[in-house]
Amino acid sequence: MSAPARLRMEAIDKRFGATIALDHAELELGAGELHALLGENGAGKTTLMNVLSGLYRADGGRVWIDGRPVDIHEPRDAIRHRIGMVHQHFELIGALSALENVIVGDEGGGLQLRRDRQARAVAELARRFGFELDLRARVASLSMADRQKVEIVKAIYRGVDVLILDEPTTVLTPGEADVLLGTLRTMAAQGLSVVFISHKIAEVLGHSDRVTVMRAGRTVATVRTSATGERELVEMMIGERLVRTAAPPPRAADDTALLRVEDVNVAGRGAAASVDGARFSVGRGEVVGLAGVDGNGQRELVEAIVGLRRTTAGRIEVGGRDVTSAAVGERLARGLTYIPEDRMGDGVMPSLSVAENLVVGLHRFVMHGGFAYRPAAIRARAVAPIADYKIPADAATPVGVLSGGNIQKVLVARALAIAGHGPTKLVVAHNPTRGLDVRTTEFVSGCLVGVTRAGGGVLLVSSDLDELMQLSHRLLVIFRGRIVADIRAGEFDAYRIGRLMTGGSI
Amino acid sequence: MTALARRRLADATKYVVAAAVATVAGALVIALMGGNVLSAYRSFLWSSLGTAGGFAQTLNKMCPLLLGGLAVGMARRAGYFNIGVDGQIYAGAIAATGAALALERATTPALAVLVVAVGVIGGGLFAAIPGALRAWWSVNEIFVTVMLNFVAAFLTEYLTTGPWNDVMAGEAITRLIPDAATLPMLSVRAGSHVGIFIALAMAGVVWLLIERTRWGFEVRALGDNARAARVAGIPTARITFAVLIASGALAGLAGAIEVTALHHRLILGLTPGYGVMAILIAVLGQSQPAGILVVSFAMAVLLVGSDSLQRSIGLPASAALVFQALIVLSVLFVDARRAVRPS
Amino acid sequence: MTLFVDPELLRLMLTMAAPLVLAGLGELIMERSGLLNVGVEGMMAVAAACAFLTMLKTGSLTVAAATAVVAGIALALLLALYAVALASSQLTVGLSIFVLGTGLASLLYRVVIGVTTVTPTTRTLPSLAIPGLAGLPFFGTVLFTQNALVYLALLLVPALAGFFVLTPLGLRLRAAGENPRALDTVGVDVRALRYGAAAAGGALIGLAGAYLPLAVTGAYSDGMIGGRGWLSLMVVIFGRWQPGWALVGAVLFAYTEALQFKLALVTKAIPPQVLLMLPYVVAIVVLVRLYRGAEPPRALGQPYRRESRV
Repeated sequence: MSAPARLRMEAIDKRFGATIALDHAELELGAGELHALLGENGAGKTTLMNVLSGLYRADGGRVWIDGRPVDIHEPRDAIRHRIGMVHQHFELIGALSALENVIVGDEGGGLQLRRDRQARAVAELARRFGFELDLRARVASLSMADRQKVEIVKAIYRGVDVLILDEPTTVLTPGEADVLLGTLRTMAAQGLSVVFISHKIAEVLGHSDRVTVMRAGRTVATVRTSATGERELVEMMIGERLVRTAAPPPRAADDTALLRVEDVNVAGRGAAASVDGARFSVGRGEVVGLAGVDGNGQRELVEAIVGLRRTTAGRIEVGGRDVTSAAVGERLARGLTYIPEDRMGDGVMPSLSVAENLVVGLHRFVMHGGFAYRPAAIRARAVAPIADYKIPADAATPVGVLSGGNIQKVLVARALAIAGHGPTKLVVAHNPTRGLDVRTTEFVSGCLVGVTRAGGGVLLVSSDLDELMQLSHRLLVIFRGRIVADIRAGEFDAYRIGRLMTGGSI
Repeated sequence: MTALARRRLADATKYVVAAAVATVAGALVIALMGGNVLSAYRSFLWSSLGTAGGFAQTLNKMCPLLLGGLAVGMARRAGYFNIGVDGQIYAGAIAATGAALALERATTPALAVLVVAVGVIGGGLFAAIPGALRAWWSVNEIFVTVMLNFVAAFLTEYLTTGPWNDVMAGEAITRLIPDAATLPMLSVRAGSHVGIFIALAMAGVVWLLIERTRWGFEVRALGDNARAARVAGIPTARITFAVLIASGALAGLAGAIEVTALHHRLILGLTPGYGVMAILIAVLGQSQPAGILVVSFAMAVLLVGSDSLQRSIGLPASAALVFQALIVLSVLFVDARRAVRPS
Repeated sequence: MTLFVDPELLRLMLTMAAPLVLAGLGELIMERSGLLNVGVEGMMAVAAACAFLTMLKTGSLTVAAATAVVAGIALALLLALYAVALASSQLTVGLSIFVLGTGLASLLYRVVIGVTTVTPTTRTLPSLAIPGLAGLPFFGTVLFTQNALVYLALLLVPALAGFFVLTPLGLRLRAAGENPRALDTVGVDVRALRYGAAAAGGALIGLAGAYLPLAVTGAYSDGMIGGRGWLSLMVVIFGRWQPGWALVGAVLFAYTEALQFKLALVTKAIPPQVLLMLPYVVAIVVLVRLYRGAEPPRALGQPYRRESRV
């Protein structure tokens, strides 16, 4: 498929303050091509595409379309040049309908919003690519896969020759991902240049014509997919051969349950409960994974276990002790600790120092007496974790300036320290490696596995099925608030689990 | 120059810029009012700092401003906006006056202390309303505290014109409180009272509370990220309640001091907007006791100085509010420009 | 019992509701676009002072109202400048504008009027009886013999509701308050939208400020806004950010105000100040009952930075 380059990005530079995000990055796209942009988290893939779609302004370099140089300074320019992007975190307006989300900004002129006429046009467009969409539904009520369809239609509606998708399969089950990738292939066949960003090698190898690998803000190479393989791609991605080390140690049979969840219900919006009759346990030395598409109740379940949300029925026991109505602090005292999914929103206090962030949560157990807050003592406490977890900052640095990966390390260090203090060692981790580069991911996975080696237990809630299958002794699947499966390590089957995640049966 | 020193220098220039803006604006207004700018500024500084009486007035005014600023600043550390300091000052003043008048015949030596304590409790209880509403019902405290300002002002109006009114003294003034309930003066000749020492002591207390206790650590964590604080096991509802009560208590203390040390009675207009000024003081002082101390002193100088300008060139007292707002806006402006351009 | 539904009382209620409706709608427009404006009270104060002083000097109600509108727009744009271009904390800027406005209003009045023994007054907006409808038994008095600004306020409610739902600009405005980035990625100028919303909102708030001296008292005094600016914030929450329900909220508060007024005339048993407290206490109570479940526009109060790392 050697076609003349429709699009070329040349020597693109971008910095954020002192951080260099893109360093002479390059990309070249042909017409009718399905192109993968591969790299680990933090390599610059999203940044490069944000420059192309006008959201970011490059500090240097040029973009050429059909051989002519163009200036893309804001999203409107990109749209004018027929470039559309579907972002990783959907840019949709939950309170509005699917139709409104698609047409906002290009409503078809006039003083009055002509919903019917626009609806017909949009429905026609959706049909062309095989999408079924209820245009009148409020986006907030749509599933992730449907929301993604709205995003794609939104991009196409404005007329595109180049369509960019950022990590489109993260929110889909394996089955749904296949469907999407097939659709992308159809689009490419119709002449579109389709770029999808991914950090999953298998996906790239199975569904692209060419792949561009990025690392540390630079373009390492562009190769024909048929001419390359996994080892070569991994090496390009991270610069060295990587052996996946983290794996669950074998478990001796042990009946002690560190966490017991019995028939727990959590209220949801409206009549439907968000968690319905959840029943499972986490034993000593065990990693129990919880798989599910985002929005099926895992967040509510986790928050109920940790104490941030009330249950309407059922019982939660930690180390044999009933904590169903205990406050968060009490549960921490028992050794039940939480690594939240949203590290900036629920995890750290950005203006407080690294030392303070390491000690918060633990502070009630270590600060005693009158003027219990002693800055020197707290800084001294932080020295060991900073070294052990290789956090590139000193104790007094405000946590907010650290990168996402290092912030996650702080949260992991804190959680493990709290777990170490209580009678039970139980870590509840929600998407602990999301957005982290390979090295940090391995590190965090290693820490979690380490908990089990020390006689503790881990409840790992993740939307990354590969991670779950790699680390769990047992895997639970949650769908619409109910635990629909409890699978042992030897019997993991990605497609079967994917079907369970979307309500199918075995 | 180290990064920290560079940041401190940038902070300092921010305030210099703000002060410059205020000075220029002031000069403009004075010129518009037909006064001589240089002599106006000279009498401004002389009247507030140069004479013993003037300086005493400055210290007296600094007392409620400092306490009010500490009150707002403390709530800010936890992430809340206590706009109700005026109402809490009145609440404290009402409680103190009530206690003083009720114990008119009492001869306890510590009557003044008791009366002031009652004032502190009064302010605290008054702030417990928005505190509880915010802690357990998530009701935004801005609106509630503002509404309560009006309630407290009307209550004061009722008491000063009705049951506690001193028929001889005038319209909205209560009877005098007993001598035993008054606080001593620092200098009878100059007219300064001990309130300033109490306020300064409270600045130290607030600093210790916020920076050196476990409770203070939890307040700061809450103010930085409330959700993360919950995740870390901090009892956010209890802390919210306590912080707002403490904030109200400080304001109540200011009210009690105004009654027992300055006026010796409750009057309508006890607070000419100290609570509103306190908001700006806390913002400019970055919610830190040290900064609040400096800014409240400057504010007191501004108030006393503009009083004299009012007499000489007819500059109304409300000009002070305008200047304060302009200073805050220029500081915010400089802050924003600095954030855009990384150092 | 009949006191509570006396047509004169209800007529007064609507008269008192007008500034709350106008300010509430103005604030609503700003908040729907994502701008939180807690400086309303100060903006209304400046508008009131400007309106009165202009009225005094020119004798023209229209010119006076226009000055107030300009003042409102100016302060609202100042807030928008800080919020949009500088991404400052909207609460802090809003509070500064509250103080600035309050002080500026008083300053302007003193500078122009000076010290006098007699408070200057002007004539007020006359009531406009709608021919034909004014003769109706109950509604004639209550609804159809109000002043022009009341009619304007009432008409603006359905107009604004229609604007939000039926026009492209209304759709974009709503989107700006929910997810400005989504709007940005399709090429809409979010900044211009927010400035526009601020100007429109500021105009209405200015008009609301002008209402009190021009339509009710014919005079100006410090503090005459009496918390109505703060109440307009509550009106928006009460209305769940929709014009129709905001009207209900404004009318509710105005009812309490009118009732307190009438009660003060009728009974001497209750001290007047206690009655004066009533609307404020009611406002708190109403807010507490309402607070659960009120869903603000998602991006309300948050500065939008295009290049922030997601």
